[in-house]
This record gives sequence, C-alpha cells and structure tokens, in this order.
Amino acid sequence: MDDELLKLEAELKALRPAAPAPELQARVARELAPAPRPSPSWWWSAVPAAAALAIALVLAGRKEPPADEGLAAAQVAAFRPVAAEKVLYAAADEGPVTLADGTEARRVRSSYVDTITWENPRTNASLKWSVPRDEVRVVPVSFQ
Amino acid sequence: MEDFSKDEHWHRWFERFGPRLLLCARQWTRSLADAEDVVQEAFVRYWRHQRGLPGEPMALLVTSVRRAAYDLARRESRRALREESAETDRARLEPGFVAPVEGEERRAAIEAALARLSEEQREVLVLKIWGELTFDQIAAQLEISPNTAASRYRYALGALRKELATTHCHG
Repeated sequence: MDDELLKLEAELKALRPAAPAPELQARVARELAPAPRPSPSWWWSAVPAAAALAIALVLAGRKEPPADEGLAAAQVAAFRPVAAEKVLYAAADEGPVTLADGTEARRVRSSYVDTITWENPRTNASLKWSVPRDEVRVVPVSFQ
Repeated sequence: MEDFSKDEHWHRWFERFGPRLLLCARQWTRSLADAEDVVQEAFVRYWRHQRGLPGEPMALLVTSVRRAAYDLARRESRRALREESAETDRARLEPGFVAPVEGEERRAAIEAALARLSEEQREVLVLKIWGELTFDQIAAQLEISPNTAASRYRYALGALRKELATTHCHG
C-alpha cells in the first residue's frame, strides 16, 4: 500500500466507534443478572427459625434422661451435612482505596448468606444453619 | 499485554468490546435497533456459554454477533415489523463514530464515504480496522479466502480515498 493509503488507514484506526446507548447496557445487565433469590429479609427471618429448630432438637433429646450419655452424643454425631448453599444478596463497589504501599485499589464488598443443612438419616430430623457473611476484596487497579 | 480474558466483570468487557461489536452488527443489520438487539443477544450468549472457549475474545464475539444477525434476519415477522422504522433509522443517520469537535467534519465525511462503499468492501474494512481481526479471521467469518479478504480491504481503502477526495473537491 502506498503512503497515502497507510495514512488513511491510520486515520480510520484513530476513529472510535460510538458507544452503545446506556439502555443497551441496561438490557444486557438485566439478562446477566443472577436469578432472583429470596430477599435478604426472608433469610434473616430464617436464621432465628433455624436456631429455634436447633434448640428444639436439643431439648427433645433431653426430655428423658438418656440411659447412656454416649447415646446422646451418638445421636448428635448422627447428623451429617447434606447440602451447602451460598447466596449472594448484595454486592457493592465501595470505591478506590490506597494501600499502605501506595498501590491504588478498589474495595468490593459482597454479602452472602451461607446455609448448611444437616440431616439425621436414622430419624429424618434435619437442621439448617444459616449465617450471614461479608466478603471484602481489595482489587489493585492501574490507571493508564 | 493485559490478559483481558480473565476479567470476571462483564460490564468491563462490554465497555471494551461493545462499541466495536455494535459497529460490526450495523454492517449486518438493517437498523440501529436491530444491531442493538443483535449485540445484546450475542454478548449474553458469549458471556454465558462461550467465554471459556480458546481463541481471541473479539473474534469469538464477532462470530457470535454475525450468527445473531443471521438469526434475526431469519425471523421474518420481526423484520417486517421493523421495516418501517429501519428506513427512519437510516434517515436519522446515527453516527457510528465519535470524533473530537475539531474532527467532526472529517468524521462525517468518512462516515458518508463508508456508507457509499459496497457492502462486501465495507464489512471487510470494518472487521479489519475496528474489529481488529486478521485477514485469516475475517476470511473465516465471511467464508472467503484470506487473499480475497485482503484484496477487498485494499479496494475498500482505495475507494474510500477516492470518495474522500471527491468530497474534498466538492466540499
């Protein structure tokens, strides 16, 4: 190619394609959003319910004095974890931070509820344990 | 060079590739609205199912865009519904590029000249310049030989130069 075409090619490369309308990005965001999860309030109400269930199970186990202390321990030990679930219910970019060594970074907070379900295969009793958890990640960024 | 393929944030991918994908989609669709539909479908499909595939992301995304454009073209009923608005859309001439204010006149001239290129030349030019694909990748996209892709590209540049010279003389 001659110089003039190379110059034209360079000029074309310098043109930036127009950004898509914000509405298009919003549509993509809606499609890529995680499937709807139960609202956080539901999860928070589930925590005391799970705790109540746990207490009830413990009390039920103590209604009659066990003939053998080892039996109660065996019953507790009979619970096995059967399911674990991690639900992300909020994520927020908390903005830029500067680390001790001067590195620029962004702090991203993700809020989860972790739920573990336990079951006793002999009695079919189950126990659900839910705990909220915040995960904070500091992601280094570079400005160019 | 930054390994972009490991970035887990789709919006950063969209910011990076979205403008170029939309420009490519506009070569294969009849209106900006159709092009946006195509980009949405292609990007979501890529992000959900194809991101782990080996290969350059832009080439895979362009493949996804092209397939979505063909799928859209096949959905005749939808196309018919958009037919009228497509004409309006063309008339509106949404700019495909952004340029600094001092380069606005030149941008408009280039865009007008691009619009006058043949479809075959324009799509190769767009894929090469803004899609940043190689001639081999363009050839695979368009099911032509790499030599044909390269010659269409040279002809396109030549035609564009001629168009711009004419515009300059008459402008």
